[in-house]
Amino acid sequence: MILRTDKLTVGYGKRSVVSDINVMLMKGQFVCLLGPNGSGKSTILKTIVRMLSPLGGEVYLNDRKVVQMSNQEMAKTTAVVLTEPVSAGLLTAYDIVMLGRQPHSGLISKATIKDREIVIDSLNMVNAGNVAQRYFSELSDGEKQKTLLARALAQEPQLIVLDEPTSHLDAKHRIEVMLILRQLTREKGVTVIASLHDIDLAVKACDVAILIKDGYVLACGMPEDVLQEEMVTQLYGMGNANFNRHLGGIELKSKQTGAGIFVVAGAGTGSSVYRILIKHGYTITTGILPENDIDYQIAESVEAATIKSQAYENMSHDSYLTALKLLGSSRQVIDAGFPVGATNQPNIELLKNALKSNKLVHSLRNREQSERLFGTSSNKFLYSHDFFELISAVKKAEQT
Amino acid sequence: MAMNTVTTEVFLARRWKRYTSVLLLFSVGVCLFLVLNIVLGSVTIPLGDTFKVIFGNTASDEAYSSIIQDIRLPRALGALLGGAALAVSGLLLQVFFRNPIVGPFVLGISSGASFTVALVLLGSYLAGMTAVSSLTLSLAALIGALLVMGVVLAVASKVRDIITLLVIGLMTGYVASAASSFLVAFAQSENVYRFVIWTMGSFSGFRWDEVLILAIACLVLMAFSYLLAKPLNAFILGEDYAHSMGVNVKRFRYLIVFISCALAAVVTAFAGPVAFIGLAVPHFARLSLGTSDNRVLIPASILGGAMICSLCDLLARMLFAPVELPVSATTAIFGAPMVIFFLVKGKTTI
Repeated sequence: MILRTDKLTVGYGKRSVVSDINVMLMKGQFVCLLGPNGSGKSTILKTIVRMLSPLGGEVYLNDRKVVQMSNQEMAKTTAVVLTEPVSAGLLTAYDIVMLGRQPHSGLISKATIKDREIVIDSLNMVNAGNVAQRYFSELSDGEKQKTLLARALAQEPQLIVLDEPTSHLDAKHRIEVMLILRQLTREKGVTVIASLHDIDLAVKACDVAILIKDGYVLACGMPEDVLQEEMVTQLYGMGNANFNRHLGGIELKSKQTGAGIFVVAGAGTGSSVYRILIKHGYTITTGILPENDIDYQIAESVEAATIKSQAYENMSHDSYLTALKLLGSSRQVIDAGFPVGATNQPNIELLKNALKSNKLVHSLRNREQSERLFGTSSNKFLYSHDFFELISAVKKAEQT
Repeated sequence: MAMNTVTTEVFLARRWKRYTSVLLLFSVGVCLFLVLNIVLGSVTIPLGDTFKVIFGNTASDEAYSSIIQDIRLPRALGALLGGAALAVSGLLLQVFFRNPIVGPFVLGISSGASFTVALVLLGSYLAGMTAVSSLTLSLAALIGALLVMGVVLAVASKVRDIITLLVIGLMTGYVASAASSFLVAFAQSENVYRFVIWTMGSFSGFRWDEVLILAIACLVLMAFSYLLAKPLNAFILGEDYAHSMGVNVKRFRYLIVFISCALAAVVTAFAGPVAFIGLAVPHFARLSLGTSDNRVLIPASILGGAMICSLCDLLARMLFAPVELPVSATTAIFGAPMVIFFLVKGKTTI
């Protein structure tokens, strides 16, 4: 056990931000703190590294109270990467990383060969060896963050504390930083605790997730266990979006009022159509979707009115009738161009029905295939080649 | 591309070569201007005689010996030491406040000194004294500077944020300046003239005992400042990072403020507030070296400060001889464009 908190209360002055924190961090664990802005993630991290004094309780590092440790001892076991941007004058990335050796050297002693090797290894470990000789101020945000990470590594700590290490980074560097952190925990046995905003990355990279909300630890455990849909929705108080644990991402909700647009979809053809319609403020109904269809997952997350059928079963007549009813009350219908097979014939019937009752039916399918499936009535479809044409046609129809 | 020991050695060796050449160049500059300051002056002294005096022999004319030994040599050394001290003081504060336009007097040292000097110069008239010796003035300036330093130090370890400390220093300075203005308003014009000249700084009339005091103070404080080079480097990343690397931030604040203010105070006591050296020289050194590493920047600032201050004093004496310019006039004329150039060029920060 590297780090343990015992009834820890953190905050500023007399105002407590998070109370009663009891967590344990083991050697080589990658721990993330999740929670909305202002929930106190940074406050907890700052208290652990003694930038703030605890308002109550204790932090133990290797079973010693951190308040009793000297600055030097602390620096030899714990390194930090802060979220505030750093300006480093005319120091090179190499110089910055060399600063990490300070706790291990005397006041005026020169860098030893060992120091240099550690600096080089640290830079290589974060794939930043190529920028070592450049000025830190001239590096990109991603390179800067990797350099600061290398600096923390050069301190040879047992624990690295990172405050929002991915917030200024692009997708490539976000993933790279997370992978480096995971590699550190696996290969060097370093314990990492980081506050994060990307739930999707947290789920995929961390060993332990600690959720902070309204001044308390809401949950703590393996992200796969802890980050359930309701928990995430509660954590961030998201009213207009849902977290999908299978997809590991967030979907914006559909509008729930008024007659909508019926989307006949399947096998992933619906996902983009749903998102586009939601973006433009339409209410969505959709079906018939088997429960094991990716479109079903997304339709559920966007909270579209969904007619489902059981996984690995043929679509039931009941669900067909329900779908028909919903389709009847919708203003427009979209054929998302789903693949057709033995189990989803009712969806073809739905579309035929819509055409027969002279509804406006858009189609993303190519004409040839459409003729094969629908015969002469395929002429009644309003075809769109891409999503731009589709949404333009939907909007135009809505106006007349 | 991964990094290896060989490329790193090459990189470090190349850099080290640059550092040593810059330091060597600065040293040559210091020697050059020191010699020029001794050789040149309103009285033309043959070169042979000058060197005779410097190396302890008697010159052909008694007056020559006296001019060189009692006037030029102490003054040249005063300018040299003063420049070095101000440059180091400015450097420490720039890094400490993480602000490139900070100088040695930002914490109100010069205003404090000016106030006590004003008090002595302008108040002596009211007290019935007629002549004020330069030693009295030095003492007054020192007391004023140390008073302000005391105030700043008293709050240094208490305030949470170093910017607050900067504001307190600035405000203390304003109050002291206001008090000086108050005295000026009630003073005799003759004394006001002397006061105004004093506030513009000058190395003229530097005496050997003053050189000695300045030299001892400078050497001790500069040696001390060099011991702070490493934590100072950690400070470049900010207080929080420095703390995480084992720096005792409170004690460090105290030491930085003490050393930089003490350096500024002793120089101000003997030469008045000499502007711009402390602001411009650290930037000059930083750009010449191409690094913010204080382990080389401190020696480079010492040499650079000595060099540039010697040059400025030379110009102040010679430009409109026999009229002598206040040294702050030449330092500002050279320093201000230099600072603008460095900052606009965008390379240098802290």
